[in-house]
Amino acid sequence: MTSRPTSALVRRFAAPLAALVPPVAAVWWAFPENLPLWRSIAIVAAWAGSGLLVSSIVLMMRETHVARLLGGLESMYRWHHRSGMLAYLLLLCHPLALALDDWLEAPQLAWMLLAPWTQSWPLWLGWAALLLLMFGLTTTFAARLPYRRWRFFHLALGLGVLLGLAHVYALLGGANILLFLIVTTALALGWRLIASDVGAAAHPYHVVRVAHQPGEMIEVLLAPYASALAVSPGQFVLAAFGDGPHYRGCGEYHPFTVSGIEADGVLRLGIKALGPCSQRIQNLEAGVLVHLQGPFGIFLDGTPSRPQLWVAGGIGITPFMAALRAHRRVQPTTLIYLFRSAADAAFLDELSALVRTDPQFELLAEASGRGLPDFPGLLARISQITERDVNICGPMPMVDALMPQLRQLGVAADAIHFERFDFR
Amino acid sequence: MRKLFIFSTVTFWLVVAGFWLANFFLPLEPPSAVSTIAETADRNFTLSDVALHGREDDCWMAIEVQVYDITAYLPDHPSEPELVLPWCGKEATQAWQTKGKGRPHSPRADQLLAKYRIGKLDEAR
Ligand SMILES: Cc1cc2nc3c(=O)[nH]c(=O)nc-3n(C[C@H](O)[C@H](O)[C@H](O)COP(=O)(O)OP(=O)(O)OC[C@H]3O[C@@H](n4cnc5c(N)ncnc54)[C@H](O)[C@@H]3O)c2cc1C
Ligand code: HEM
Ligand code: HEM
Repeated sequence: MTSRPTSALVRRFAAPLAALVPPVAAVWWAFPENLPLWRSIAIVAAWAGSGLLVSSIVLMMRETHVARLLGGLESMYRWHHRSGMLAYLLLLCHPLALALDDWLEAPQLAWMLLAPWTQSWPLWLGWAALLLLMFGLTTTFAARLPYRRWRFFHLALGLGVLLGLAHVYALLGGANILLFLIVTTALALGWRLIASDVGAAAHPYHVVRVAHQPGEMIEVLLAPYASALAVSPGQFVLAAFGDGPHYRGCGEYHPFTVSGIEADGVLRLGIKALGPCSQRIQNLEAGVLVHLQGPFGIFLDGTPSRPQLWVAGGIGITPFMAALRAHRRVQPTTLIYLFRSAADAAFLDELSALVRTDPQFELLAEASGRGLPDFPGLLARISQITERDVNICGPMPMVDALMPQLRQLGVAADAIHFERFDFR
Repeated sequence: MRKLFIFSTVTFWLVVAGFWLANFFLPLEPPSAVSTIAETADRNFTLSDVALHGREDDCWMAIEVQVYDITAYLPDHPSEPELVLPWCGKEATQAWQTKGKGRPHSPRADQLLAKYRIGKLDEAR
């Protein structure tokens, strides 16, 4: 059932290389000859920016095969952010460089190029595009927006890209490279909205059983109606819960890491109440229809070649549960499991039982209360820490606090892997 | 990334505001003075008239039903002369609209061209 692990090279370079293709192709095609310096700069910035916007859209498609090819969703999202931001910077330069070019000709012309009332609709489209990007990114970086509203405003960026391409079309007509950019954007955006957001590409499952865990958390057993997803431990799925006899699902897709993979394509998900939708899921019942997309993610990918140190914070235990339940450890593995209080700790009994049956597996479970745990003390108990691969899954403050301590103890940066439970 | 966004956006608007302010301190003249010259000359030419002026030191072109004498401008044209000279004495609309890669001439070039207008192309003959 498991697919081939993604090599470190692919993880690191596939997404950025793919992101380079559209801008390089566009600049190559449009490279200005015999034009004044600043106009040439403006044109190169415009095409590099347009190409990078298209890369950014392609990188957030969220399709299983594309994600495998491009080194995982994590890397794709990272380069989605970077190429989008770089595109924005270049496109800010584009009108300014055009204005500067005009300024050198006659200073009066510069403002004429920028002032919307002296222009016609191809350039209005350019302005509308730039303002939408500006607005969209302002909300993107407004950290405290609720996720649903954040996503809605973020979509303005997609519209901005389309208007930007319309601006170029209005100026230049349907050159091949432009049609390539427009078609790529339309396909990627269409896939994202129809197949992923609406769920046209999803697999139907149904809830077999719901088990309540300590803390506000449930574990759900899901069985496929038709074909099953080929999930490996560490991966996550996007799940949308529908309605049952007494249950009304919120129907949106949310990412959840698989906490167990069983025979006949049955999957387990551990879901903690962290907000409105996951709160409602706590009341889930058997028989509810669930749509799943995926699998995604490359956390815990491949067979370990070195001893392992795993660190789980709270609900971050789910990927490790999937791995531990799948098979016995092939390498010595120590799991540091941190939670607020014993009453909050899911799977603790099962983990203790695993320690008894698998001699390669060691558990350090610790209730850390509200603050950060005593990492120096915990890490001091780990033997041969520099020989180990470190995999971390937990809240960002925990990862941020742990990173420098691991580095200080001599753990190499490329031996540390972590999974975040947030895309932003 | 957030800081970079704020910094670049603010800088962008400062530069735009700079162009806007500069506009107030500049005398209002160039493109408007041009059009009056163009209005006065309104003779009709045929393509055979244009064809008589096909040399580097005497270069007319017909573009979009207008006739231009661009002899004086030729030395200033940004591209290599080989690109432009072949069009002297000819109907050059196509060349004007699609200078390389389908890229149109800029609005400014339109204004520049207007300066050299000498009359209309009489298409009937
Ligand atoms: C890769 C990954 C794996 C995860 N695995 C698990 C798991 O195994 N168990 C578990 O309980 N939780 C997991 N989560 C977290 C879970 O997805 C969120 O708790 C859930 O989406 C919250 O939605 P809400 O409406 O209840 O709360 P909200 O208040 O809407 O959101 C709470 C936070 O969750 C994030 N979030 C909300 N909706 C989405 C969305 N559609 N896509 C991405 N992020 C979103 C946002 O950052 C938000 O700040 C995982 C998240 C990610 C990204
Ligand atoms: C100009 C640049 C950008 C464009 C055009 C763009 C466009 C998009 C689009 C169209 C989506 C799909 C939204 C949906 O279907 O709901 C998306 C998703 C996303 N974008 Fe961007 N984006 C840009 C920049 C950024 C930046 C700078 C960040 C973060 C710092 C970011 C973070 C995200 C995240 C986290 C998601 C989706 C999460 C999910 O799958 O639920 N984007 N983007
Ligand atoms: C997202 C925003 C934008 C994108 C993606 C974009 C992209 C482009 C591209 C690719 C070109 C073609 C360049 C060429 O080969 O000739 C172009 C031309 C142009 N753009 Fe934009 N642009 C954007 C915003 C703007 C804005 C805000 C303005 C002005 C205020 C503007 C003004 C122009 C002008 C005047 C040209 C003609 C350049 C020339 O003379 O070749 N654009 N734009």
